Amino acid sequence: MKQIQMTQNPSFSLISTNKIIQMSDVWTSYDSKNFALEGINLSIDRGTNYAIVGQSGSGKSTLLKLMNGMMIPSKGAIKIDYVTPNMNNKKFKKMMHTIGYIPQSLGLIKNISVIENILIGALPRLNKVQSFFKKFPEHEINEAKRIMALVGLSGKEERKAYMLSGGEKRRVAIARALMQKPTILLADEIVSELDSVTAREIMNLIADAQKRMNLTAIMVHHDMQLALEYANRVAVIKEGQKILEIGVEGDTIVDFQTGNMTTEEIMGMYDDSKK
Amino acid sequence: MTPKNNIVIGIIIALVVVASYNVDANPLEFAEGLPNLAIVVEEMLSVEPKYIPTALWAMFETIQMAFIGTVVGTAIALPLSMLAARNLNSKYVYAPVRALLAAIRTFPSILWAILFVIMVGLGTFAGVLAIVMYTVGFVAKLQYEAIETIDSDPMDAVSSIGVSKWQLIRYVVIPESASHLLSQILYMFDYNVRQTSILGLVGAGGIGFYIINYIKFFEYGKAAIFMLVVLVTVLFIDWVSVKIRDKYIVKSQHGMEVTTK
Repeated sequence: MKQIQMTQNPSFSLISTNKIIQMSDVWTSYDSKNFALEGINLSIDRGTNYAIVGQSGSGKSTLLKLMNGMMIPSKGAIKIDYVTPNMNNKKFKKMMHTIGYIPQSLGLIKNISVIENILIGALPRLNKVQSFFKKFPEHEINEAKRIMALVGLSGKEERKAYMLSGGEKRRVAIARALMQKPTILLADEIVSELDSVTAREIMNLIADAQKRMNLTAIMVHHDMQLALEYANRVAVIKEGQKILEIGVEGDTIVDFQTGNMTTEEIMGMYDDSKK
Repeated sequence: MTPKNNIVIGIIIALVVVASYNVDANPLEFAEGLPNLAIVVEEMLSVEPKYIPTALWAMFETIQMAFIGTVVGTAIALPLSMLAARNLNSKYVYAPVRALLAAIRTFPSILWAILFVIMVGLGTFAGVLAIVMYTVGFVAKLQYEAIETIDSDPMDAVSSIGVSKWQLIRYVVIPESASHLLSQILYMFDYNVRQTSILGLVGAGGIGFYIINYIKFFEYGKAAIFMLVVLVTVLFIDWVSVKIRDKYIVKSQHGMEVTTK
């Protein structure tokens, strides 16, 4: 049984310079009546392995899209490294170069090779002529090969993306994101369709890269077990609201919102969110 | 069969009869004309093999015209299709480009051929220009439709990196729509060979020029040689394009496993 400690509520200390993502009272809506997110407050420290857990339709994917500027909130404020995410904002557009985003469907280009898919992560560093002729500089190709070795794809450079297995496709998507030299890595249910062995391989890979590159990894899951196993922090989202945020350090779970609870109760609250 | 269906079928048959009367389409005349067909066929059967080299050369010329027309037409169509795709442009860009493409498609290639014969004179060049125009209109339409059906996930994933629009087109749109493009180019070439074969009717070169002239002078035997060459060529091109399609397109579109070295 994991120990639960009472703490102050430190998640809203917005003055700290170490906060890479800050959201205060964020609402998003698809139309004027239906809200996907209802008053979300989040604050994520640099270098955290952060997990967002919730059922489908809870608004967790929307949360990721707010963090890379693909969506704009209808109300509330978001700061990513103290910049408001918006694709029309030049400063943020430059930041997007180093925000890795892996959508649930991965977004690979199926008719091109593995290495070409990965090199896409380096596109912002290319000039117009190089990118028009698909002429990647030698050091970028070497970097792509180094990352391929890191994620276990060596020797599959020329394979077309559509030929790969589910696990391999995820490795390509991770490699493409790492190619961006990211400071933030966003991943949407990246292991949800994999068997548990492959899922752990992929999670270990990300955890490894996260530590090595001091990334802020924000991963959406619907499996609480997996989230607790890998993340330092877990936020549970239910019907567009954050109902729980816990910190995980070794065997200790620290609850930031409701105070003293057992692991069973936490899992139970999560089960409630399924209904 | 419901009574409603019977009424619909009855109305259609009545309309066919009325329209036939209006356009003088009399089945009796067709029956009376059958012996004439026998005469034509008989004359056609007396083929003159010495025209085979000429026919083959004319066919080769026709294929070259279709080839230039397809390649140049596709090259012009591609940038236009990028501009006409709704998922890449604002309304102010795609609407006028689509209107232009629709206008180009309004005319069949034979009308374009007449126009270009007036512009550049009789001969193969007018035919090539006609094929180019026709190809532009159709390939651009087929291609912008292909671009619009591209999966939005790779587009979102890559644009979230903050790449430029040109990079998005170069690295996502073109590869994702490439298999459609190859299929369309093959179809278009196939179609253009058949089109070019009749452009000679209006003096725009190609094998059709021989066919129409021999028919005009009742030399059905000579015309038959040329028509036979067209038939064989079209069947052959059709067969080759089916092979190419099977090899390169079907697999990549369905994501089938293929063996690699």
